[in-house]
Amino acid sequence: MVALTSAGGLIALLEEHDDALKHYALQNLDTLVDQFWAEIADSLAHIEILFEDTKFQYRQLAALVAAKVYYHLGEFDDSVTFALGAGELFDLNAQSQFVETIIAKCIDKYISLRTKQFESNEFVDIRAALEQVVERMFQRCFDHEEYRQAIGIALESRRLDIVEQAIKRGDSAVLLQYVLDCSMNLVQYRGFRNQVLRLLVQLYSELKEPDYLSMGHCLVALEDPLSCADLLNKLAQGSPKHKLLGLQLAFDLEEAATQKFLQQVSANVAESADADKIKKILSGQLTIQLQLEFLHRNNHSDLLILKQSNANLDPRNSLYHSSVTFANAVMNAGTTCDQFLRDNLDWLARASNWSKFSATAALGVIHKGNLDHSMTLLKPYLPQQGVAGSAYSEGGALYALGLMNANHAQPLDYLRESLKGSTEEVLQHGACLGIGVSGMATGNMEIYEDLKNTLFADSAIAGEAAGLAMGLVMLGTGNTQAVDEMLQYAHETQHEKIIRGLALGMALIMYGKEEEADSTIDRLLHDKDALIRYGGIYAPLRRLLHVAVSDVNDDVRRAAVTSIGFVLCNNPGQVPRVVELLSESFNPNVRYGAALALGISSASTNSTEALELLEPLLKDSVDYVRQAALIAKSMIVMQQPSAKEFRTHLAKVLSDKHEAQLTKFGAMLAQGILDAGGRNSIISLRTRNGTNNMLSVVGMAVFLQFWFWYPLTLFLSLSLTPTALVALDEELRPIQLEFVSNAKPSLFAYPPPTTPPTQEKIEKVQITLSTTAKAKARAKKKEEAEAMDVTPSVPVSPTSATAPTSGGDEVMAEASAEGDATAAPADGKKKKKEPEPTSETKANLTRVLPAQEQFISFAECPFQPVKKTHMSGILIMENTQPDLPVAFLEMNASKPKSSEGAAATAEEEEPAPPAPFEYPFDD
Amino acid sequence: MTKDDTAAMDVDPAPPAAPVKTEDAQALFLADIKHNVALLEKAVAVHETRFVTRVLRTTSAIRRRLTQEYLVKAITQSLPAGNALASTYLSKLDADVMQTDDDATATPAVAPEVEAYLGLLTIVFLHDQKKYQEGLDVATSVVQAIQHANRRSLDQIAAKVYFYYARFHELLGFEAALRPALLAFHRTATLRHDHESTATLLNLILRSLLNANLIEQADKLVSKSGGLPASASNNQLVRFMYYQGRIKAIQLDYSASHNYLQQAIRKAPQTAATTGFLQAATKLAIIVQLLMGEVPDRAIFRPTAMRAPLEPYRQLVLAVRQGDLVKFNATVKDAAPRFAADRTQTLIARLRHNVIKTGMRLISVAYAAISLRDICARLGLDGEEDAEFMVAKAIKDGVISATIDHARGIVVSSGAEAAADVYATREPQVAFHHRIQYCLDLHNQSVQAMRYPDGVKKSSKAFSDLDEMRELEKEIQQSLEEDDEDF
Repeated sequence: MVALTSAGGLIALLEEHDDALKHYALQNLDTLVDQFWAEIADSLAHIEILFEDTKFQYRQLAALVAAKVYYHLGEFDDSVTFALGAGELFDLNAQSQFVETIIAKCIDKYISLRTKQFESNEFVDIRAALEQVVERMFQRCFDHEEYRQAIGIALESRRLDIVEQAIKRGDSAVLLQYVLDCSMNLVQYRGFRNQVLRLLVQLYSELKEPDYLSMGHCLVALEDPLSCADLLNKLAQGSPKHKLLGLQLAFDLEEAATQKFLQQVSANVAESADADKIKKILSGQLTIQLQLEFLHRNNHSDLLILKQSNANLDPRNSLYHSSVTFANAVMNAGTTCDQFLRDNLDWLARASNWSKFSATAALGVIHKGNLDHSMTLLKPYLPQQGVAGSAYSEGGALYALGLMNANHAQPLDYLRESLKGSTEEVLQHGACLGIGVSGMATGNMEIYEDLKNTLFADSAIAGEAAGLAMGLVMLGTGNTQAVDEMLQYAHETQHEKIIRGLALGMALIMYGKEEEADSTIDRLLHDKDALIRYGGIYAPLRRLLHVAVSDVNDDVRRAAVTSIGFVLCNNPGQVPRVVELLSESFNPNVRYGAALALGISSASTNSTEALELLEPLLKDSVDYVRQAALIAKSMIVMQQPSAKEFRTHLAKVLSDKHEAQLTKFGAMLAQGILDAGGRNSIISLRTRNGTNNMLSVVGMAVFLQFWFWYPLTLFLSLSLTPTALVALDEELRPIQLEFVSNAKPSLFAYPPPTTPPTQEKIEKVQITLSTTAKAKARAKKKEEAEAMDVTPSVPVSPTSATAPTSGGDEVMAEASAEGDATAAPADGKKKKKEPEPTSETKANLTRVLPAQEQFISFAECPFQPVKKTHMSGILIMENTQPDLPVAFLEMNASKPKSSEGAAATAEEEEPAPPAPFEYPFDD
Repeated sequence: MTKDDTAAMDVDPAPPAAPVKTEDAQALFLADIKHNVALLEKAVAVHETRFVTRVLRTTSAIRRRLTQEYLVKAITQSLPAGNALASTYLSKLDADVMQTDDDATATPAVAPEVEAYLGLLTIVFLHDQKKYQEGLDVATSVVQAIQHANRRSLDQIAAKVYFYYARFHELLGFEAALRPALLAFHRTATLRHDHESTATLLNLILRSLLNANLIEQADKLVSKSGGLPASASNNQLVRFMYYQGRIKAIQLDYSASHNYLQQAIRKAPQTAATTGFLQAATKLAIIVQLLMGEVPDRAIFRPTAMRAPLEPYRQLVLAVRQGDLVKFNATVKDAAPRFAADRTQTLIARLRHNVIKTGMRLISVAYAAISLRDICARLGLDGEEDAEFMVAKAIKDGVISATIDHARGIVVSSGAEAAADVYATREPQVAFHHRIQYCLDLHNQSVQAMRYPDGVKKSSKAFSDLDEMRELEKEIQQSLEEDDEDF
């Protein structure tokens, strides 16, 4: 057959009246379309008409031809439409590129249609043919046992039935975990996620061994306190093992849920033997108490660092003064160690006005969690009837009271009284902040009203705090009435401070509301007032990048970039890529934001990518960018043994006479963060189960406002999570036990304490700053990487444990020796010589870093945790050998009330609380 | 096909083999191949097509040194015995196929890139040796392997292989069978986002259509396929421009055609290897410019490489410029075979009208009044009636302003246009506009053509080793000219 050179003749046949001719033409075109599609494309309209002509017998053939032409033209949407129209003629099983491409596009289209249907609740016409194609794909996945693929498509196309089917067919336990991860991290749309979670709860309970803890997480995410309470009740009435699980679940709930949620659960816990225990756990008191105990016991804060830095900073400058205050506060957060303040009373006395406010409030951070003694400790500073004290220290004390009882609405009444009873701005400011912090997320309308009254007084200082506090109280409620009121007032008032406070407050109200917050965000963003736009940014949203580059206001841009850190804190690996360009922006505010975004998202991950990006920012030409970079870096390398080099850098920044004030402030703060909570806390915006840690996120968001208002720096204490491992028995007593960490002790050791500087030492510091320091650090990193590679179970021979590079080896040996020497007393092995042991024994209530969790093992211990994942935090233990005598640890940090429960029974002697001391403020 | 005909695809025949064939040369050659194979493997390992580009850049240098013996050695060295493709190559090279233990059990896997690369060398060698049928067989098997592998690191090699695949078909006269295959490859390449192959294949299809005089089809293909991908290489872009120029010229859209051809000529690498292409493009450009009523610059006839092949075209230009129909006809007649070979005949036939127009204008400027008979004589027309029609048409088209005095059989020029001050019209403005437009376009295109590295920081990181960077730069410098030769 002579090759055709044109399809013109066949196309002309389509114009004929005889159906047979048309059929003939179409049949031939169908085979020739690959060659002459460009020509046929011109007559597409005609072929489409043939398809739409219902009387035409071969309309499906016409559809097939049209589909193929569109496919060649790259118009896949149209191609899919016609391919589906072709019905049976479109052969799904054909092994051609055309068919494969169309099937892939079909699935895409199906997903987008289903999503649209789901989100808009409108009826979207999904054609049966399309569904059929997708169904067959699912079937194929099932046949090949590719359940994860099927689940992926099903989740995307909102097909719960398929998800369920897949889970039931495959390995349920594994797949359930997979679905849970996917739905929490990948499913964007809240409505559907809730449905998936409901399904998961149901499936979890149908398992042979129901996974109650995972069910609890789902219910928290669903915000369903009633089912949660039911679950707890069910567990409480079950076997002893179930009871233990119930307690563990209660702890997990306490960690993940809001105050309001916990109160509701607590109210619905049925009377049973364990009810009191559960209620106590849910109230959060026990957790706070245990954490306080942990921090107090393991306090490793290095006062020498503070002392050295303090010597370099002129206390007459209020900025430096506050910076030392904050660093001290963060460093000792929750440890109840106010040694530094005691040692430097004359320094303290130099504080004036707002510095004094901060200094007093810092006391609250140091004693954070000391619920029972809060009033006693702060008594000297709190406003007293008839005595006219300094408004600043009194306001600070109220703020401190709030911080001590953060997220724990104990002193609310007292604070409210103070707020009402005072007309002093500073006092009101402190009271408002105190109320906000302690009454966080209670959604209490009365408090809200009180705060509103303060706000309407239109005083700049009090109003700012009131706006913020309103947001904190209504945190995450999405209360539209509140938002409306606040927005309205923000427009009315003249004070920038108030507007700023309100804007942030509104953002907090919308915390975690996702899609529901979109409309509010839109309103905020489109506002003319830059300050309100500023607030809009702090709610989670996706348009951040757009705003980051296009807004005219520097503050807004900065906030937008910073918020990227919040949004992507689920996925810290992505942030460096996203902010890479932003960190090179010409605009210092954007660079500032980029640095903080890196810090927030990669906090305590020691991510090398993030550190690489921060490196140039540390040498930026603008002082506040350097400040942010220092803070961010300190967040990232928290609790990492490799932070040594950074410490010297900080010391150098602080001692450099020519360094800018702001940078020094940042460096001081960075020192504080580096050693936060006595080197026992990290900043993490995620809980161990991978949900957002509300307290942390809020603390961090407010902390970032230190740009405008330094006292807000103290909010950072909310973001600090103690990295403790606490093992409790069924009576909630801390057990004396030992467990094994299958890793080299030096990997997770505390950094050695600084020695008082001698003449040589100073010289040495200068030397190490040159390239040798870097070389050493490199060697060290290498060493570390190798050490991490070592499989924990395989004992490492001494020769391989002593690493190849000699320089790094020395450093490590030094570090480990020092680390061992200073580690917790229970860390019994004090081997100063190599080889380093590949594992160590640790006692209850010690520091376990997130990276260390995988090495923790309870294999040789009579107690076994009921929770098998995440070997840190508070664990309820099951005693496998009940006959053995059990010893318990004493609680030293604070004196629990005897009425509070069984925890106190084991106590014999209680140490006296630290003697109160008074700031020598001259009023 | 000779070098200076329309074979826009023609490449230099291989220069005579290197005079000295020593052991050293062979060792050097094999070392080069080894180096390239290592680079290809690295490219696969790190997903970096840069290395493939580096390998292909050396092709023209290697091609000059290719001999049967070397190539066989290279293949046996780089591919394990028993490799299916390797045995195909060797058998087509008339070499002994390495027979391992008869059943090819567990031959070690080789990167398809390496297989394809050696296939490419074999193809090039066979092409230069004019063993077209063998070449086609090898090309077919390599193309199949490439289609099967579907790897992005193969793209650049694939594009070259497609090119030779089509070339062999053409040389063997199988053009008609070729097109459907090319179309299928093109579709696949588009779906796989294989830009390099997409561009090459689109050009090959266009060439095939134009050779078959399917102008209409070619035009539709261009408009429907959405043109070349943005990342197509310069050489493909130039080719595409040339083909579009041809399509537009035949479709009477002269200004668009001229635009394309100008760009093609300007963007083409100006080296000895591209002379054939430049000649073909220039010839077409001259005709198109004449058809637009402009007279090409004399300078384009001056370069040595252009002088002889463009001579008939220079005659044409002279004829048109002088409005000398007689000379025009003579030239067309004399150089007919040349024009036929150049495929410019159709366009040249259209020029006749332009010659007449120019002649008419010259006459109307020179004479206040002239008889139709004289016009006939001057323009070499057949009869007075003919002349009268032509004059009437010229008047209607606004070429001349004159009136015909039918009674006396003369044409009276109104002389307006001769006396008119051209600077009083919009003419200069339009001319300036054209030039400015041209400059701006040129500027824009230059900006677009510039390619920056993916971020200075990254590249400095990637080349942390300064020596490596320097070495690479040197290599690029060296191979730049060779790259052009490879066009």
